[in-house]
Amino acid sequence: MFEYLELAIDSAVNSGAKYSDARILISKSRNIAAKNGEVENYNESEKIGIGIRALVGSSWGFYSTYDLSKPSLTNAGIRAFQTAKASSMVSGDDLPFADVPVVEDSYTTPHDENPFSISSTDQVDLLLRSTEQMKKLGSSRASGRLDFWDTEKWFASSQGHKIYQNIIESGGGISSLAVGDGETQIRSYPQSFGEYRTGGWEVIKSFEFENHTERLAEESQRLLVAPQCPEGTMDLILEGSQLALQIHESVGHAIELDRILGWEAAYAGTSHLDLTKLNQHKYGSELMNIVADATLPGALATFKYDDEGTPAQRVDIVKEGIWTGVLSGRDSAAVAGVKPGGMVRADGFGRLPMVRMTNVGLLPGTSSLDEIIQSTEDGVYMETNRSWSIDDLRLNFQFGCEVGWLVKNGKIIDMVKNPTYTGITPQFWGNMDMLAGEEEWVFWGTPNCGKGQPSQVGHTGHPASPARFKDTRIGVRG
Amino acid sequence: MNIWNDLLDEVKKNLPDEIECELKLMHSKSALTRFANSQIHQNVDEESAEIYLTIHKDSKTTTISNNLTAIKDVGEFVNKALVSLEDSPIDKGWSGLPDKSNSYEGFKDLEESTPDDRAKVVKEFIEEGKSMNAAGYCSTYINNYFVWNSNGLNSCDSSSSAFIDGIFRTDTSAGSSHRGGQTLASLEGTAAGFEAAKLATDSQNPVDIDPGNYEVVLGHEAVSTILVFLGVYGFNAKSKIDGMSPIIIGEQQFDEKISLIDTPEDQDSIGFKIDASGSKKLNLDVINNGVPQSYFHTRRTANELGMKNTFHELFGWGENFGGIGTNVKLLNGDKSFEDMISDVKKGIYINEFWYCRVLDPITQVVTGLNRNGSFLVENGKITKPVGRLRFTQSFISALANGNVESVGNHSRYADSEFGEGILSVPQLHLKEFNFTGGVSG
Repeated sequence: MFEYLELAIDSAVNSGAKYSDARILISKSRNIAAKNGEVENYNESEKIGIGIRALVGSSWGFYSTYDLSKPSLTNAGIRAFQTAKASSMVSGDDLPFADVPVVEDSYTTPHDENPFSISSTDQVDLLLRSTEQMKKLGSSRASGRLDFWDTEKWFASSQGHKIYQNIIESGGGISSLAVGDGETQIRSYPQSFGEYRTGGWEVIKSFEFENHTERLAEESQRLLVAPQCPEGTMDLILEGSQLALQIHESVGHAIELDRILGWEAAYAGTSHLDLTKLNQHKYGSELMNIVADATLPGALATFKYDDEGTPAQRVDIVKEGIWTGVLSGRDSAAVAGVKPGGMVRADGFGRLPMVRMTNVGLLPGTSSLDEIIQSTEDGVYMETNRSWSIDDLRLNFQFGCEVGWLVKNGKIIDMVKNPTYTGITPQFWGNMDMLAGEEEWVFWGTPNCGKGQPSQVGHTGHPASPARFKDTRIGVRG
Repeated sequence: MNIWNDLLDEVKKNLPDEIECELKLMHSKSALTRFANSQIHQNVDEESAEIYLTIHKDSKTTTISNNLTAIKDVGEFVNKALVSLEDSPIDKGWSGLPDKSNSYEGFKDLEESTPDDRAKVVKEFIEEGKSMNAAGYCSTYINNYFVWNSNGLNSCDSSSSAFIDGIFRTDTSAGSSHRGGQTLASLEGTAAGFEAAKLATDSQNPVDIDPGNYEVVLGHEAVSTILVFLGVYGFNAKSKIDGMSPIIIGEQQFDEKISLIDTPEDQDSIGFKIDASGSKKLNLDVINNGVPQSYFHTRRTANELGMKNTFHELFGWGENFGGIGTNVKLLNGDKSFEDMISDVKKGIYINEFWYCRVLDPITQVVTGLNRNGSFLVENGKITKPVGRLRFTQSFISALANGNVESVGNHSRYADSEFGEGILSVPQLHLKEFNFTGGVSG
């Protein structure tokens, strides 16, 4: 494949591009969805193509095609150059581009069993059994899904990179929906929309769906008759997967350097963070230590090189509550004067690589969920995300969860429904006063992060353990 | 198109007898010129060709999809589907293939835009903001869709679309606008730029106001977002099947001033004249004077609910997602924007919503925020720009009988949280809208 890439890259550079790189991908996916003991969707897909980008002046030009014939590859390089060059009608200063080591290397996601070598019948049966059982136990709609991706990626650049990577990702989940009089309630496992990691079929086996069907069916129906979550300002305890989404929305997106620089302003928004406050801005309490680590074995955003050939790495983002780092690529890092972080990835061969969260996680503390509950006089423990919304500066947020548990004098006393909480990013994180330890630290994965135009779906990781946030506004309703 | 004809011939050769089969090809050329900090920074161009093969036999169904390059041998591709079919469970929801009478011939050899053409539209937009910071995109799409099935249907269609969407920012404000049409030439880059620039200029130095119930006048994008949520979570027949739709056909759920139609047959509508099954789409009354008339159906949802198919199946995973209206128009009322504002005693004008999410689908309670131009309106006049507010509001109640004061008399294609080019809407004046938080949370 590297000779194909070189043909396209040479064509772009010979046309006049200052720099060019290209990726050929073979992307296989298997998606299975079941409902109430029946298959709702089964699809296998394979896509092959090339995406090439060319840097000319202040703009990237990008062209992608499924056609890997030699004339098409030569044309792809020319089109990428011409597209970039056309930007000169509305141009700015030349875009700087940081150097990274030029390597020839390969990497395959460590895994026990490739999910595509497992019988699809076994995979379908797992979902049919789980959803049928929940349906029998009274679920109005018992759903389950499994998704597998096997992506082979060849990357080359005009600087001489030649990198092959085979990334294998697996995930899925089950949920029970209960429909009542004018309301619906849902419980999901391992988290809403499923849990995703790098790895093979062993990821799915570790979830043990069969051990959770009864609880999901029971809790979803019990929520219909549960009291409403109380309104007021009190202690909020978040379960790990909800905290993972809180990190994703209020930290992960805010620290994307392309947003901070205004490159995403029209669509995804910008950030409340100002680069002149790096290493000074107080993001949260001293318990808050956030790292972006693309090297964590098994986490969803783990790889060896990003889509610009920059090595995967661990970058401190927040240290003892102080903002210390950003998510960057070779161009944005050069503009901001920081080291490239290896955080640029694309959604398939047909999309321009852009800054993407890696595994942006909250390092564990020393407490435990039990201790947190025992030390809480008046609060609500919330599990599993149900809704999320945050402003375009990543400041004002409101989340809803599937279930809340009322905590009084150190004990869970009641289930409550429709729990929501709202806050402002630095104040909220500044109120984090207890954080569970490594034993409850889970590499949560988010497979559906939308960003960019044309839109791209990113796979991001968010290690987290349960935590407590003092004085939080809870129970917002319309 | 040759690639379709060649593929179809090969698939037919390799198909066993007495099997139901549906073959689809989506061939697309899309381009998007993106600008930020008042310069073009990303410029992308893509050609794709995706194929879906569905086969059904002995009550089992399977679908496989590849792009054209991934089909190295059509015989192997068909065989892979046949093997997958053997492993598939019984498909109780199979609802058959449309027949020959549904065939449609609409293929056209449409010309793609050049990056220079798009840059010109971007330049027109940016120049309206003078020294303000501009960001946004100009995009064009040419799509060709081919469907064949073993029941005799053979359909094809082509569509083109183009959009300009952007914002201007100052240190304390932002303003946005959007235009869509079938061609790049139909876009009014200058008009969109002027609108966005005016909103950004006028909304500088906003004041914070207390949350609470306010009268609102909603701009095109804000109205579009409300309707797209109702479409996806309410009028989608799959939501009805799953017990999550609040929509009740024949009941006065909305204000009498609300009439919604889907108009795929109109010449100015963007998109294909056929749905994913290859059947010709038909215009549809969705809400008539506040009374819901129909859900959006696919073959499967119509079959399961025992209702008539409305041909709203989407390509790709659309069948699983349910039916979505893609040429939806909210019928105009008789009020100009100025008249709507002059009717407001104390309220807020909101240009656009942001990051809306459903708290409960059955009540359609949604939370989200305002952005890119919001103003306090007092005694019929816009008096000052207002800052960020969070709303938590049922979208059903927002359009409920008695809550719609008036409907604007000018419609345009508006962007929404679920895509562009699918809704053409006027502005709306609503009696009450519930804001639950301000800049301090």
